[in-house]
Amino acid sequence: MKVLLDHEGERARKDLEEAWTDRVTFAFLPSKSQRLEPWATDCLARLPDSMRTDHFALLSSGTTGDPKLVLGSRVCAESLARLLHEAQESEVVSSTIGLLPLSYSYAFVNQWLWARTFRREFVSTAGFAQPDALGDRLERADRSMTCLVAAHVPLFERHFTGRRFPGVLRVHFAGSRFPQEKIPLVRSFFPEAEIYNNYGCIEAMPRLALRRAEEGESASDIGRPLPGVELFTAQDGRLLFRSPYAAVGFCDSTGFHPFRPEDWIFTGDAGHPEPDGHWRLDGRASEIFKRYGEKISLPMLLDSLAGCWPGHGAFYRETDSLGETGHVLVLAPHPDAAQLRAVLSTLRRDHPRTHWPLRIESASDLPLLPNGKVDPAALTQLDDRRVCWSQRI
Amino acid sequence: MEGNRSKFRELLLDVFLLDPSEFRWDLTRSQIDTWDSLGTVSLAVGIQDVFGHHLTPAEATGLASVEDILEVLRRKGVAFGDA
Repeated sequence: MKVLLDHEGERARKDLEEAWTDRVTFAFLPSKSQRLEPWATDCLARLPDSMRTDHFALLSSGTTGDPKLVLGSRVCAESLARLLHEAQESEVVSSTIGLLPLSYSYAFVNQWLWARTFRREFVSTAGFAQPDALGDRLERADRSMTCLVAAHVPLFERHFTGRRFPGVLRVHFAGSRFPQEKIPLVRSFFPEAEIYNNYGCIEAMPRLALRRAEEGESASDIGRPLPGVELFTAQDGRLLFRSPYAAVGFCDSTGFHPFRPEDWIFTGDAGHPEPDGHWRLDGRASEIFKRYGEKISLPMLLDSLAGCWPGHGAFYRETDSLGETGHVLVLAPHPDAAQLRAVLSTLRRDHPRTHWPLRIESASDLPLLPNGKVDPAALTQLDDRRVCWSQRI
Repeated sequence: MEGNRSKFRELLLDVFLLDPSEFRWDLTRSQIDTWDSLGTVSLAVGIQDVFGHHLTPAEATGLASVEDILEVLRRKGVAFGDA
């Protein structure tokens, strides 16, 4: 068994191709995670015999922040790639343009494995590290698809305003809140594309539900489960799943933990079904808490501000002077006075005071992880952070 | 002193998220939808921050209008230019 690092670009794909062709189970780690190689090697050594071949493992930090290797079956992952091909009507697509690290389960399955399974071209780019090259490549796209995260949208706005990429026929979002309110903007860049909200988690390896952008109006609407996938809301609101494509288990510092087919696996989110068969996210389970007896859902709070705040927002948790857990809202970029007033007015109009943030801070940009998600640990350490408003509690 | 009045008005706009156009000096607690128990705590902290005066729990919970707040602050020696 071996451990590969995502060296990005052509080398990563060559390494992956060799590893996938060889039956021996391998782990594929993000770039710059050399320090985890010995740990990952040790994890692989603990796998049961039945999983030492024909599997692969990807890294997740999970909700605890501790690393874990999530193990998938190659047969199941290829089956999921085929299912996605059908569900997303991708037969017309001849290539996929990569902006995300391949060690991210979303890009791994939706792009690399899909391209390999259907013998489509995979086009590597350096993403927004080289925006000019990316823009040129997107302009030359011919019946392509690409996989984005919401954090890419402002980068498109910053670098590509006024440009059109009609050769891109499929645009996928996953990995974070779906940018529903930005869909008109996304369509302006990709006028010929079908846009999809892909929902899942690494334990699902990775896809669970899907909807086209126009089939819902809320960012929290994740659409319907894929055929064969079951979703379930536990009594405490946690969203659980069973899927024939799911990971087969994970390794952490305490050993290997198998998932049995009958197990309901936690997505990390809270969610519930709607009467129309769509499922709706109530937020990350870790982003839902009680404050003075009131249930607070930070993602739903962000959703409610989307109509008045054109920028980005994120939260970190903090305890108030009365000892209750609260939250601080960080906006980016810095709002002007009218924008701040609009945010405050919305908070007053639509939310009780318990839902209001302890403070509103702002920064020029939100700190992002390589996979495009907000880096929560860095939110409190931004150099140009300003306090715009404080609840004084 | 007029500065105190202006600071006071800004404090109330901030604590209760009032729009400047709806602020009046004769507003009562029942007319301010965001003046709940946490709002009272926030107001007391704000008064401490802005005017340097501590409100006792009895003073804070006894407030029923903007004029009540002004009166408590006047008793603590804050001048609003209207005496």
